[in-house]
Amino acid sequence: MPSRFRQTLWRVMLVQVVTLLALWMLQSRYAT
Amino acid sequence: MHWINWVIVAVYLLVVIGDGLRRTRGTKTMEGYFLAGRRLPWWAVGLSVMATQLSAVTLIGTTGQGATDGLRFVQFYFGLPIAMVVLGVTLVPFLHGAKVYTAYEYLERRFDAKTRSLTSLLFLLSRGMSCGTIIAAPAVVFSAIFGWDLLWSVALMGIPTILYTVLGGVEAVAWADVKQMVVIVAALLAIVVVLIVRFPVPLDDALHLAGATGRLRVFDFSFDLSKTYTFWSGILGGTFLMLSYFGTDQSQVQRYLAARSVDEARSSLLMSAYWKIPLQALVLLVGVGVFLFYAFVPAPLLYNPTHARAVADRAPGELASLEARYGAALSARSAAASATSTAGAEQRSTALQLFARRDAAVDSVRTDALALAARVTGESSRDVNYIIPRFVLDQLPLGLAGVFLAAVLAAAMSSIAAELNSLSTATVVDFYQRWWRPAAPEAELLRAGKLATALWGVFACVVATYAATLGSLIEVVNRFGSIFYGSILGVFLLAMWRRTNAVGAFVGLIAGMVAVGAVSFGLPSISFLWYNVIGVAVVCGVGAIVSLVGGGRPAR
Repeated sequence: MPSRFRQTLWRVMLVQVVTLLALWMLQSRYAT
Repeated sequence: MHWINWVIVAVYLLVVIGDGLRRTRGTKTMEGYFLAGRRLPWWAVGLSVMATQLSAVTLIGTTGQGATDGLRFVQFYFGLPIAMVVLGVTLVPFLHGAKVYTAYEYLERRFDAKTRSLTSLLFLLSRGMSCGTIIAAPAVVFSAIFGWDLLWSVALMGIPTILYTVLGGVEAVAWADVKQMVVIVAALLAIVVVLIVRFPVPLDDALHLAGATGRLRVFDFSFDLSKTYTFWSGILGGTFLMLSYFGTDQSQVQRYLAARSVDEARSSLLMSAYWKIPLQALVLLVGVGVFLFYAFVPAPLLYNPTHARAVADRAPGELASLEARYGAALSARSAAASATSTAGAEQRSTALQLFARRDAAVDSVRTDALALAARVTGESSRDVNYIIPRFVLDQLPLGLAGVFLAAVLAAAMSSIAAELNSLSTATVVDFYQRWWRPAAPEAELLRAGKLATALWGVFACVVATYAATLGSLIEVVNRFGSIFYGSILGVFLLAMWRRTNAVGAFVGLIAGMVAVGAVSFGLPSISFLWYNVIGVAVVCGVGAIVSLVGGGRPAR
């Protein structure tokens, strides 16, 4: 697999995990 | 609206058209006109893909959905990053490496002409129609807000777009998309800042209010096929929808075919994978913010001004009694909202429950008002699409309303331009050149391309003028493609398996379309997000069996 794609892939996954975690925290803190 | 806002809109339109005209240099060859000479950088392609997918419906309808329904719609996009990665590894190298103009052209090389023509025709039919709805959605809202004839609103969006798309081809479209994406994100961030500054209570308290009404509930893990937005429909159905859309829809494929190399094409898709979910969450949060704003400031009973006027003229008695109920419900709700932030820790939860009940009371009056408006005007009210435009025009400081309006135009134009450009490419490459004029010189094909772009543009504007009475803006656009998307994706997946043949692919495609059609008519309770999963499964299953049983020749 070429370089740029593979490098970016990990960062993409990280951003998704962080986003989902942030949404989860938003829900668990505020949604009653 | 203040003239300064109009000046901002006019400047935006002039810049986009002027830039399109400047980029006509590259349009002397077919490859230049349809694929920007295959030399666009990955980040421009990536922004272009995102701008194409972010239509005016996202800015108007999805923000409104955030205000009334909260964040759960974001689940719809959970499959997108997965789909982008899968496409980057599988389909993109095939299509980019094949040096084709359209995705369907590849299917003829692998299978036969009838599979190519049928898939391309399906694309032309569904996208030609949906292009009309993409224009109609914001045009209807513009007309109602400013009291214009619908034709003017359609022309405001359609004519500049047709102009720069016809003249500048895909290069003008892609670079316009880059600017449009900047305008859109700037407008969204500006609204967020204004909202935060103007909340009368601390942000934390405001978010508790939104949470009490269920608007911050993002994840729904129930496995219910009739529910459209759940975690599972997003992850599974969403992945297949996005795979089909980004992998087989020419309006998307054409973007990454214009990238310099396979690596750049893949990277451009990953850019969407990066930003789509955060961006969509931001769009919905803007809606939630507007809901919170109106928890303290009196909101209009009917956001659609045309409907509000019609009801005032034709049912003044009923309106007056609704207004009285509404006024009382609003003041009770805003008192409850203020009480939550002054309540102590022990009373906080009771105060929040009271706010949720008061909010439900406000909703019930609005439901009655919407029913009255629907009865008086004879059309479904779609009030949700007017919440954000009204907020922008009534509440934003001078100049920002113009930026938001420019952003809505930008979102609409970038989506329309990509559609027109890809419709023209498929028409010329898959039909005109393939069936009528295989030996046509390049200059003739180029002329045909420009003419086809213009004709599709006019067609879309005509559809838009009549599509005004169509149903919910968001779902109509999504639903239209969904019927056939999965089946077309199935054919591309078959193409990647060497043992399948042309007969298997064609029979599989027909079987998939029949199956999805039967499910959508026979089992209407199944959410449309599952259609693509069904389509892919049937096409791959039937296609593989027919290929193996028929024992056709292996792929070249």
